[in-house]
Amino acid sequence: MSAAHARARGLALASSVLVAFVTLPLLTLVLALGPAEAARHLRSPLAARALLLTLQTTTVATLLCVALGAPLAYLMARHSFRGREVLDTVIDLPITIPPVVAGVALLLAFGRRGLLGRPLELMGLSIPFSTVAVVMAQVFIASPFFVKAARAGFESVDARLEEAARTLGASRWRAFWTVTVPLARPSLVAGAALAWARALSEFGATMMFAGNLPGRTQTLTLAVMSAMESDLDTALAVSLLSLALALAALVVAKVAARRSAVLA
Amino acid sequence: MSRGVLVVFAAASLTEAFQDIGAAFERAHPGVKVEFNFAGSQVLRAQIEQGAPADVFASADLLHADALAASGRTRPHRAFARNALVVVTPGGSPRVRSLRDLAAPGVKVVLAAATVPAGRYARKALERMDGDASLGAGFAERVRAAVVSEETSVRAVLAKVALGEADAGFVYATDAAAARGRVAVIALPEGLGVVATYPIAVLTRSTSPLAAAFMEEVLGAEGQAALRRRGFLP
Repeated sequence: MSAAHARARGLALASSVLVAFVTLPLLTLVLALGPAEAARHLRSPLAARALLLTLQTTTVATLLCVALGAPLAYLMARHSFRGREVLDTVIDLPITIPPVVAGVALLLAFGRRGLLGRPLELMGLSIPFSTVAVVMAQVFIASPFFVKAARAGFESVDARLEEAARTLGASRWRAFWTVTVPLARPSLVAGAALAWARALSEFGATMMFAGNLPGRTQTLTLAVMSAMESDLDTALAVSLLSLALALAALVVAKVAARRSAVLA
Repeated sequence: MSRGVLVVFAAASLTEAFQDIGAAFERAHPGVKVEFNFAGSQVLRAQIEQGAPADVFASADLLHADALAASGRTRPHRAFARNALVVVTPGGSPRVRSLRDLAAPGVKVVLAAATVPAGRYARKALERMDGDASLGAGFAERVRAAVVSEETSVRAVLAKVALGEADAGFVYATDAAAARGRVAVIALPEGLGVVATYPIAVLTRSTSPLAAAFMEEVLGAEGQAALRRRGFLP
């Protein structure tokens, strides 16, 4: 047995603890309910409404992350300016702050008695406890995942390719859409998938800022918590569904990232 | 569950009163540490059913205490206090000045979820007020339609109202007292008959001799005085 082989075996042994630690609870969750049983509980009104609301809010939140995050990512990828790294840190902050703290901050800013509460109220808008609040909490928490990936994607596209397109007569806008976006697409897709997955798992900020009402603000994670107190099997079924959705998002992100590696 | 540590699971509304009683208990039993887990009674019940290591359980209603006694997880429970239900509104210029206003257009009402004792009591109170002609036709239904969030504990309801994000919420009189200055109180009609009953029990799996002593402390003169000071009814 070669030394390299022995070293790999030692590393595998050392790694097995963490792998087992992460796998065991997930496997237990998968095996807790049979597929038929899980499907039956997912047809309950609580689960069905939470799923629909979650798909709606996370889709809108992801589209907002992309639409609002892409210009920012491109700015940071293509231009060097004072405070760029400070800006980068601020944009990343929602990844590290506790979500419930994000919820408190959102309340203080956009709540009825918050900083912008009065002007919003005069415009006839009241955000807390609404579906809009759910989307805002998701965008707040999930946006850095898209911005980071998109910035890396734009940075990987050689600026000279854009210039070449420009010398051939393309406008800046056209060069961006026909050269930069297609080349950065794998990173953009991976970033959007991760942002979507993070929006899907949002709980703390939503609970604090949007409250918990079936059909309006009760997403899958809040439904798990509510069901956990009254109907364990439904909580397990909704947890299983959330796990499947999270896994799907991760697969999309990984496949996209692999394609980017092939292109590079 | 070491000898010197007593773990008490208690309804969120008991927070201040039990902290007072716990401090007195620790003074009377040197070397003993009382650890509290305050949450909605339904959360505590679920945790106990999942095997959480508690010695004493104090619930805000009989439903959850009965369920744990019936499944053999606790010894028989004894009622130790009662609590009135009230409506709270944010301080300042509340949109809700009377019970009738709860059903006014645009009003945001927060309740505890139906599994939370305070949420069940609130729904029962609404049902009983429904027949009251002075509150307007379809009162209960209109208030239910004004509900914007179902919180997991009565203290979460209190927080949303105290922050001014909701116009009104149903909480216990003791919660309103704990937030004095930040919320205004509207009493429910007399004779409504919706009063919370608090039972306490020792868990079957508890091996601590202190568990029964803590229960006696809560039921005894000193514990009862501490509960009165926080606004609980005998």
